[in-house]
Amino acid sequence: MHIAEGFLPPAHAVAWGIASAPFVVHGVRSLTREVREHPESTLLLGASGAFTFVLSALKLPSVTGSCSHPTGTGLGAILFRPPIMAVLGTITLLFQALLLAHGGLTTLGANVFSMAIVGPWAGYAVYKLLRRYDVPLMVAVFFGAFVADLSTYCVTSVQLALAFPDPSSGFLGALGKFGAIFAVTQIPLAVSEGLLTVLVMRLLVQSSKGELTRLGVLLAKKQSRSETEAVAR
Amino acid sequence: MLPIDAAAHSSRWRRRHPVDKAVLGLGLTVLAISLPPWPGAALVLVTALAVLLGPAGVPTRRLWRAYRVPLGFCVTGAVTLLVQVGGPEGFVSLADDGPSRAGELLLRTSAASLGVLLFAFTTPMSDLLPRLVRAGVPAPVVDVALVTYRMSFLLLDSVRLIRDAQAARLGHTSRAAEWRSLAGLGATAFVRAFDRAARLQTGLAGRGYDGTLRVLVPEARVSVRFTAASCALLATLAALTLVLEKALP
Repeated sequence: MHIAEGFLPPAHAVAWGIASAPFVVHGVRSLTREVREHPESTLLLGASGAFTFVLSALKLPSVTGSCSHPTGTGLGAILFRPPIMAVLGTITLLFQALLLAHGGLTTLGANVFSMAIVGPWAGYAVYKLLRRYDVPLMVAVFFGAFVADLSTYCVTSVQLALAFPDPSSGFLGALGKFGAIFAVTQIPLAVSEGLLTVLVMRLLVQSSKGELTRLGVLLAKKQSRSETEAVAR
Repeated sequence: MLPIDAAAHSSRWRRRHPVDKAVLGLGLTVLAISLPPWPGAALVLVTALAVLLGPAGVPTRRLWRAYRVPLGFCVTGAVTLLVQVGGPEGFVSLADDGPSRAGELLLRTSAASLGVLLFAFTTPMSDLLPRLVRAGVPAPVVDVALVTYRMSFLLLDSVRLIRDAQAARLGHTSRAAEWRSLAGLGATAFVRAFDRAARLQTGLAGRGYDGTLRVLVPEARVSVRFTAASCALLATLAALTLVLEKALP
């Protein structure tokens, strides 16, 4: 769920654009350096962007029986790292705004901040933290994707509450209202996205070990016990 | 190809320079969010709709299909403005100015969305992306965006075919089967994306690939007359809003 075109007042739209800019610029610098050093990376990064775009177009069955779309930010951050995801996420959001009418150009900064910055960084931080304490790969992947999805929608709720404070209870009341609609209802969807990401990662460990090693998700020589078990399965 | 992009390729304004269309479409969007919703956004909404269905020649049905997507989010978001939390009337009660705030928000988002749709329905992405380099976007980022754009259609086609094949093998008959199929779909999309990238790399390497993707961009010049007319229309809308704002209740 992206904030639609024109939904935010001009000052908020500009402020979120300014907040997103340093992360996107950092990502652009990383991407430019990578492409200059390894020209063939252009194609791999383009493929990664297309994968992110297609992933966000898949229909996800929710545990409540409804249907939604995965954000793909957790899986993207684990596979491609958050700085690259800031750029790929921005490109994907631009395509979604112009090709699918999801989101918008004036709200691009706010959507980039929630979906291409906070979501990937929060999910990646949880994933790395759990991996540091030798938590099995698939458990870390689940919580990484869960947190990435949920944090994205929590930030969206904060953005909306800041723009439209409640007439009686101000920011907190508005946060409760928008949170109830966009964040609390997202919990079952975040669980669904976590489960889907685990299933996708299990298949990738079996079928694309080379690519995962190249991306740094799996170690080249030494593998943790859970990964070995996953490969064996 | 996605419906909006397909419509852009067959648009009457396909041969116009993207800057011409950006001044008009994105100018309307900026006006929609900058001017007072009543009567500013209402005027922008009517103007954008008239340009879309008139000179730009966008089919009504296609426009409605694209427009109902942002409308869903806007209506959901606007509903929250109808109620207030806390206060003397109870934990949750109807907000006094809720309907007017929700109405203004709907007007603003509808008008702004139509402005962007005017640009999207008349400008194919393949015309826009290569020109972003001149606007200051680093060439490697534009190259990645170009590959992403072209590969997205291939991947979406693959995903559609795989989903049909899964359905034919009863892959969507139970909840467990649906999850298994969906996971297979995501993983296969990843594998196919990387496989295509590797094959593209091999093909380009054989043609002397040096890291830059050169593509032919259709020749087009910025029309001074069209841009001036667009600016005049935008200025008229702004002036009319200021006049009507004082005259209307």
